[in-house]
Amino acid sequence: MHRAFLGLIRKEFIQVFRDRNMLRIVFAMPIIQLLLFGYVVNLEVKNIRLDVYDFDQSRLSREFVSSTKAGGYFSPTPAARPLFDLERNFQDASRDMAVVIPDDFSERIARKESVTIGLMADGSDANATSIGSGYLAQIVQKFSRRVHGFEMPVDIKHRILYNPEAQSVYFMVPGIVATLLTMVTVMLTSMAIVREREGGTLEQLLVTPMSGITLLAGKLVPFGLLGLFEMSMALTVGVLWFGIPFAGSPLLLLVLSALYLLTTLGMGLFFSTVTTTQQQAMFFAWFFSIFAILTSGFFTPIANMPEWMQYITYANPMRFFMSIVRGIMMKGSGPVELLGEIYTLAIFGLVVLGFSALRFSKRAA
Amino acid sequence: MSFVTVSGLHKSYGRVRAVVDFSLTIDRGQIYALVGPDGAGKTTVIRALCHLTAADGGSITIAGRDAARQFNEIKPILGYMPQVFSLYPDLTVEENLWFYAGIYGVTGSHYHEKSEYLYRFSNLKPFAGRRAQNLSGGMKQKLALSCALMHDPELLVLDEPTTGVDPLSRRQFWEILLELKRQGVTILVSTPYMDEVARADRAGFVFNGAKLAEGTPEELPKLFEGHLYYLECEPTAALAAALNEIDHLTARRFGGGMHIYIDKGWHHEDLVEPLRRAGVRPGQLKAIKPDLEDCFIQLMEAPQ
Repeated sequence: MHRAFLGLIRKEFIQVFRDRNMLRIVFAMPIIQLLLFGYVVNLEVKNIRLDVYDFDQSRLSREFVSSTKAGGYFSPTPAARPLFDLERNFQDASRDMAVVIPDDFSERIARKESVTIGLMADGSDANATSIGSGYLAQIVQKFSRRVHGFEMPVDIKHRILYNPEAQSVYFMVPGIVATLLTMVTVMLTSMAIVREREGGTLEQLLVTPMSGITLLAGKLVPFGLLGLFEMSMALTVGVLWFGIPFAGSPLLLLVLSALYLLTTLGMGLFFSTVTTTQQQAMFFAWFFSIFAILTSGFFTPIANMPEWMQYITYANPMRFFMSIVRGIMMKGSGPVELLGEIYTLAIFGLVVLGFSALRFSKRAA
Repeated sequence: MSFVTVSGLHKSYGRVRAVVDFSLTIDRGQIYALVGPDGAGKTTVIRALCHLTAADGGSITIAGRDAARQFNEIKPILGYMPQVFSLYPDLTVEENLWFYAGIYGVTGSHYHEKSEYLYRFSNLKPFAGRRAQNLSGGMKQKLALSCALMHDPELLVLDEPTTGVDPLSRRQFWEILLELKRQGVTILVSTPYMDEVARADRAGFVFNGAKLAEGTPEELPKLFEGHLYYLECEPTAALAAALNEIDHLTARRFGGGMHIYIDKGWHHEDLVEPLRRAGVRPGQLKAIKPDLEDCFIQLMEAPQ
């Protein structure tokens, strides 16, 4: 049986390396995803184009305008259109925000009266808008503190642990690692098993004395190994090319990834039992991956989701793996800190793989 | 004690009755041919025998073991070759052989010996490095047979191995089967070709999921009832229709002429008058010996 198992694994690798579609998934997908997420996806908001309507034109108002440049968050420019026509700046996307300084700005400040400035923003990019108004509020606060010359009674000194510069790529790469492992294993496993069914080879195997366990292990292990290889490749590029820090233990990550694989391989196996062609299997795997990625906290923090959606995320095994990857890579978490996730993934793995294996053996027999 | 016994097999797919009360026995070391047109139920019988389809009723015994309960004990002595090519098309000939050897635990020098032997009789050695998808139909079948023989099975089950294969390859394929029989292998083979029955020890005619007749290639034609004549003529549809109007007579186009079946108890002398009306002189009819095909057609058309 040992030899049959090794034979299956060898056969599977030969097939993957001869199948152009599978090669694309194995090699092109991780590289493209890394480049896309590493360079294109940028959640930081910088260089907000700020339209300045300065009706005061005083030293103080100019000082205020130039203070917005600090940190590189805003690039202010004098208004190009009359105020009543301001909206067109947003419609043609030449500006992101506009600030209106009233003509009594410096006068009222000199009299130590409160002054109101207007802020208009293009809300079609909700993320940039909220971050930008936050920045501007901080700048206004700082400015008023300075001109009034007193300290606020309560002040916040904040210090961000782990990724203090809030670099998107540090946050993205662990997400990509989790995504890759999920997509590659679910997709390849389901497609490879369905291919055996399509080609009639599965039936041929069922007539042989090979046990069901050997057959399952021989079909799942190669794709588990490929998944781990993909993940290591993505991690290596992340560390060496993007220079992301790796705070925790790579070995722990590898072990917990293997634990997570029980679930994804089980999902792949399940999809192979509900589909009859490789295209169908790929579609199911794709749909599952989208669901898994969106509800994993990869792009949107789970805490930002509506409450009912937050409950749904508990049905997503990738959510827990995402916490593990980010925990180990960014915070250096150990097994003790991740105990909850480890238990959850162990249960997920047993249930999903167990159920799928049962379904598979019933359909096969 | 027969080596393979199928008794009272039933199988329906929804409302379609694929196999109805089907029984057969095969003695050890014999070649049994299941003959019948497409859709007759041959494949269902074979799939039930190989435990790939659950029968609705009936029992199957192979080498003294109940196939329903002890199939795992049957697997090591069973070689199965399905109707559609079911090896890995993206693996080479050698890789396919190696893979199946692994499954059956044929390793090391034992594998080397066995593969050399299989290459010898399949003549596939020069194509060892070629991917299975690039083989011709006949070579594919020989490769599939080689894989099914890797573990020296006692029972070989072949589902239409020669369908769509050129005549020369068909003949070679049967040479291999006869050689295997000499080595003591029991073989169940299905085929749509009547001429292949002559090389089997026994054959069963399958039609509409039932076995119409069974016997040796010599016995089967004797089941033909009545008389058979060959009519040399232009086999037009109009002539066939005119002849089929006559009671106790069935006409069937056959090559460049017609086969005329006349029911048992009647002679063409009795039908001179009606024949003449259809435009046939009695002297044109030549009595011939019915062959398997005539026998099968008569059985197929008999009211069941």
